[in-house]
Amino acid sequence: MVQNASELMLMLLADARLPTGAHTQSAGLEPALNAGMPITDVPRYIRTRLRTVARVEAGTAVVTRHLCLSAGPSGGPADLAAMLAEVQRAWAARTISPALRETAVLLGRGYLRLAGRLWPESVPVRALTDAGRGGSPCRAVVLGAVAAETGLSGAQLARLIGYDEAQTIAAAALKLAALDPVSASQWVLGVLGEVDTLVAATADLTAIDEIPATGAPLVEEWAQIHTTAAMRLFRA
Amino acid sequence: MTDPVTTPSAAPAEVPAGTRSLRLGIAGPVGTGKSSLIALICRELADELSLGVITNDIYTDEDARFLRAAGVLDPERIRAVETGACPHTAIRDDVTANLIAVEDMEADFAPVDVVLVESGGDNLTATFSPALVDAQIFVLDVAGGGDVARKGGPGIGRADLLVVNKTDLAPYVGVDVPQMIADGQAAREGRPVLGLSRLDRASIDQLTGWVRSMLAAHRAGTHTPVDPGPMAPHFHLEDGVEHAHSHAGEAGMVHEHSHAEGGHSHTHSHP
Repeated sequence: MVQNASELMLMLLADARLPTGAHTQSAGLEPALNAGMPITDVPRYIRTRLRTVARVEAGTAVVTRHLCLSAGPSGGPADLAAMLAEVQRAWAARTISPALRETAVLLGRGYLRLAGRLWPESVPVRALTDAGRGGSPCRAVVLGAVAAETGLSGAQLARLIGYDEAQTIAAAALKLAALDPVSASQWVLGVLGEVDTLVAATADLTAIDEIPATGAPLVEEWAQIHTTAAMRLFRA
Repeated sequence: MTDPVTTPSAAPAEVPAGTRSLRLGIAGPVGTGKSSLIALICRELADELSLGVITNDIYTDEDARFLRAAGVLDPERIRAVETGACPHTAIRDDVTANLIAVEDMEADFAPVDVVLVESGGDNLTATFSPALVDAQIFVLDVAGGGDVARKGGPGIGRADLLVVNKTDLAPYVGVDVPQMIADGQAAREGRPVLGLSRLDRASIDQLTGWVRSMLAAHRAGTHTPVDPGPMAPHFHLEDGVEHAHSHAGEAGMVHEHSHAEGGHSHTHSHP
């Protein structure tokens, strides 16, 4: 057995080199800057995302993980798939902008493609791939299933989502504005306390109804505008 | 029971059996004419083949709009993929976004014969992963400098076809086309090189002939995707595969052309 497997798994999943198509994403930063948000507001933007969109995602992922682990051996992929479809509906109800939902589903396809290759026998992953043809699961649901498969705790899973949110925004900022790359790392360091808060708020959720409903109307509006923007570096 | 999860990414779950297209990558530096080459292929072949195009722009969707404006293909069959300012990554280290776009194209317009994937213009080291494309064309042009073919690199050396584009401009930029083609051949150990001009009908016919032969080889299962990959031009195991392919590749016109210029290959060493 690998020692501290879940720690290493967390590092693997948080690594920007993971082939999931995430390099096409700015977590809404490009549309925010296009809408006139000053680059100096990026740290505040990260905090806002961690308190809103990322909190919905983390809650969705944590509840997905819990359901995967508590489904039991008799349940089988079909029962689990039906349950995860319920989670997906709850997430969609809390994610108003079609653009945000489409982006999350596209990222979910990328993660699921990878997970299906890395863990082809996994019951939680199979529950999503077998049902995948009709409605593709969003990124949070896929990550929840992957966490169940790879032994991540709810806290590790929520931390992964919070950290990835901050790094995605900070790294995209370097492509979108003239910055010292060290600034991006400083921004991420500066919001680690906020990531902790996110973890505390979501890590122990078990029921679908407990998933936070903390959308951010301006982020949603910017995301919609971006779908028709002519000059884009990032998909979203 | 088939498990879609374990199928290789070359035959993804989303694509029903029998609708898998030939996925053809077009790479090469900025401005060498990748988009124009794709427009040319579409113009020539759209009547006989079901085609799709995926573009990877630095600022999407400039190339996609160029191609739609060219009116050579149903605009719905031309789609842009954002690369987050990483065109190299999008065709090489993390092909996820492109694979999803290709699969959606194949599913939406099934059956599709050929999906052309245009790389965002990058440098000489950028080549497609075999997880994304079955074959790839590397495009240079005479206006980029007559010495570029001699510089070699994975795309120049090992792509399935090297195109030296805009040969009609050679007199204006002082480039010796036969020499440039000979340089390319010297770097490619016999793999095909095509001097192309949109004003030269014979060269256009050679290009479309190559695409048709590649499609035939793909369908017959005789074509094995090779990876130009990092600089390893003398890796004999893969060389064997490629030689077998280029002889079986029915690229007769291209090969004739190659041999016609072949005599120049020894001038490679002159100052």
